[in-house]
Amino acid sequence: MLRPLLDRRLVVVTGKGGVGKSTVSAALALLAARAGKRVLVCEVNTQERVAPLLGASPAGTSARQARPGIHTVVVTPAQALREYGLMVVKLQAVYDAVFENRLVRHFLRMVPSLGELVMIGKILHEARAEAGGRPRWDLVVVDAPSTGHAVQLLRVPGAMLGTVPPGPLRSDAVWMHDLLVDPARTALVMVTLPEEMPVTETIELDEAVRDQAGLTPAALVVNAMPERRFDGAEAARLAALAGAPPPLGPAAQASHLQAARAAAAEAELGRLRAALDLPTTVLPLLAAPWWGPSEVAALADALGRPRPGEPAWAPEGLPGGRA
Amino acid sequence: MSALLDAVAARRVLVCVGSGGVGKTTVAAALGLARAMEGQRVLVCTIDPARRLASAMGLGALGNVEARVPAEAFAAAGLRPRGELHAMMLDVKRTWDELVARHAPDPARRDRILRNRLYRQMSAALAGSQEYMAMEKLHELATDRDYDLIVLDTPPTAHALDFLDAPERIIDFLGNESARVLLAPAVGAGRLGLRLAQVGSGLLAKTLARFTGAEMLEDLGQFLSGFHGMYDGFKERAAAVRALLAAPSTGFVLVASPSPPSIDEALAFHERLRDEEMPVAGLVANRVTPDLWGGAGPLPDAAALAAAAPEAGALAARLAASLAEHQRLAEADARALARLFEAVPGPRAVVPRLEQDVHDLGGLALLAARL
Repeated sequence: MLRPLLDRRLVVVTGKGGVGKSTVSAALALLAARAGKRVLVCEVNTQERVAPLLGASPAGTSARQARPGIHTVVVTPAQALREYGLMVVKLQAVYDAVFENRLVRHFLRMVPSLGELVMIGKILHEARAEAGGRPRWDLVVVDAPSTGHAVQLLRVPGAMLGTVPPGPLRSDAVWMHDLLVDPARTALVMVTLPEEMPVTETIELDEAVRDQAGLTPAALVVNAMPERRFDGAEAARLAALAGAPPPLGPAAQASHLQAARAAAAEAELGRLRAALDLPTTVLPLLAAPWWGPSEVAALADALGRPRPGEPAWAPEGLPGGRA
Repeated sequence: MSALLDAVAARRVLVCVGSGGVGKTTVAAALGLARAMEGQRVLVCTIDPARRLASAMGLGALGNVEARVPAEAFAAAGLRPRGELHAMMLDVKRTWDELVARHAPDPARRDRILRNRLYRQMSAALAGSQEYMAMEKLHELATDRDYDLIVLDTPPTAHALDFLDAPERIIDFLGNESARVLLAPAVGAGRLGLRLAQVGSGLLAKTLARFTGAEMLEDLGQFLSGFHGMYDGFKERAAAVRALLAAPSTGFVLVASPSPPSIDEALAFHERLRDEEMPVAGLVANRVTPDLWGGAGPLPDAAALAAAAPEAGALAARLAASLAEHQRLAEADARALARLFEAVPGPRAVVPRLEQDVHDLGGLALLAARL
């Protein structure tokens, strides 16, 4: 159960491509918003998914409300660089003179990893920004790129501490790194499927973020877990029935596939749990022909359910969190 | 032979592209296996550290050099290839080092670059670096070796564009004229310095230094001066790679799964390949939930199933539920793929979700048969 994570300032969601990072990000945001939090969801330089999943039109590169309590934004290198540049030089006129210079623009595009730096910089800036004496957002959820690219993004502040000599860029790297690796403020959530390759890659991702980015994953979400519907003897019968004429044949074939998939998923879940000692939430397979707000809401319900023996969660510092 | 295998039969280079998690590596290996079975000498070059695939092929580990899949591995899977299957895994850092060594005018310069801390960072982690090196290695393999077919499994790109842009972007960086002007080393002083003050009014330089720190700019200047003079070699090479990619003997194979992000990525890539006049050989829709009902009237509920098939007994309700769930998944897949098939004409293969992940030669052969 993931609710305590929502009391952090920043939740980074990552995992192998196609495991449902965006839907889980949207569901986490929804869960936090239901508890009265103001949430910003950042998507990183990609085609926008979260706003459409919540039933809103795409926001683009400036934050827009997708539904009450949830804003979404797409972070791109170009826009993040512009915002960062403006923060550094402060005066629009000076910014334009320098950063809109063709030579400089060309040059900046070439600086290794500068794109990653300004993108993670913008995200972290949003996570610590204050307005009127309180945080601008109670929670920032990052729908991070898939595995390898996420590590590239998350390791930039730490890597800069090792390579960049003292200067303004370095002092930014220092606070960014501090915020990113602080478990009280930041949580990394890994999403995976109960299938062989995603499980293997998640185990490797866990090691990579620890070694390369200095981050400790806070939780694991296993998405699309098929239910165990048939016992061993029944599953064996299904194979024999699959050759029957319709409607029994196709139904037995579908059931046979379901049973095989559920058995494989259970084995993979076991392997994952044996390898990674992390709080793990298992989400049921939702056979939805289309993903929209009601499917995301169902996923949020499942994410918010306490695990057996776990106390119900009340959000910190917020009255009347819905249980 | 299927339309897809037919379409790729005459190609000498196949590049499998698509987003991560769609089974690109196994599709690449299956395409290679199919041709090796027919008697050709094939190399599959992967970037993914798919260790299970390596061990399944009878190879302890895949290194930056080619290894032939041993006859025993084929025999164990009951396969008798008439040709040869080789496999390798691209090591990005080593490929960079080899590239620098090849183009450096002398060992001293080579070592200066290899030791530079920005280089070390870049060769391991620079965005697009993997894509660039994949292209670089492909060119080397296609020109220096005599394989009948090379199948390249590309890195899972965050953006379809990275793959075609990365070489140029990185070479641009290395030979960057604006960077040269901004960071031009002081001439004759015997040491590297910055002439930032000479640029424009000095405002540019001062502001830039405020942005990155002056020392960062100096590091960068040293780094770029290390590559000075090697630029033309890199550039020529990149042009040759592009020509190889656009050649009629090359074919891109788009691999997609029915998930919406994967379809979007495949569509973006297809559009880009078309714009660049790169040859698309075919499309593989992988891990598709098959339609088991085929529109044969409304789906039966538990009662209807029990009535039609009394032998289902206590299973009837769960059988009906499983069929309904399966068909919802199949419908979602079909709907997602329709969008892709409409935009991407030409030969394609639809591979159903297999009951097990492919992790041995037998599994690859099954996949190849589905192609």
